[in-house]
Amino acid sequence: MAAFEYRQAEEIRDAFARNGVRYLFIGKSGAILLGFPDTTQDADLFIEKSPNNARSLISSLGELGFKLTEAQAREIERGKDFVQLKDGPFDLDLVFAPDGIERFEDAWRRHVNVEGFPVCHPDDIIASKISANRAKDREGLPRLQAFREYWLKNRGT
Amino acid sequence: MKPTPEIPADWLAEFEAASRRTLEQRMKYAFIHTYKPVMDDAKYRAFDTMADYRKWCEENLPSWLGYGRV
Repeated sequence: MAAFEYRQAEEIRDAFARNGVRYLFIGKSGAILLGFPDTTQDADLFIEKSPNNARSLISSLGELGFKLTEAQAREIERGKDFVQLKDGPFDLDLVFAPDGIERFEDAWRRHVNVEGFPVCHPDDIIASKISANRAKDREGLPRLQAFREYWLKNRGT
Repeated sequence: MKPTPEIPADWLAEFEAASRRTLEQRMKYAFIHTYKPVMDDAKYRAFDTMADYRKWCEENLPSWLGYGRV
């Protein structure tokens, strides 16, 4: 499996737009889109949890080359909090209920558009990492919080 | 911009260097792929709740991957 590329992010953006999927880039991949210089392995997407959005998501994943079985598609449609896909053109983590964020709508209201990519606000990315409280997140949190300060000062938002 | 107590000089230099790169360049440098034992050994996983996922990580992944709660 090769690393996730800009072109693939564009493919996600375009397929999701065609099918009307409501989503946000979240996690370190979201922070990287905002300009945070760091490394990560997977793209993390915060997907609005609703049957309609799940159906649109499944159509999009098919267009992108992810081969879901019927059972997997039904499972996603019924509603999961976290789905990990490693059988497609790139690795994708689909998060329907990230730690530290109450509702998709709240995150959507605060989201940032980066060249057409919808991205969670740094405050939401940080909140989810604080709430997840994993060793790997704890380590990088001070630098991410410093980036938030930098981002706010330079974006004026 | 000058360093502040919240943004030390070395991090500031990194943030400013990144801000001069295009999004495509930033992504090229940021996304890497290394094999993660256990985590990468299944093609599909789904969890009803985030708590289930966190529990699975703690019980199944090597601790050095860092997915365990602090």
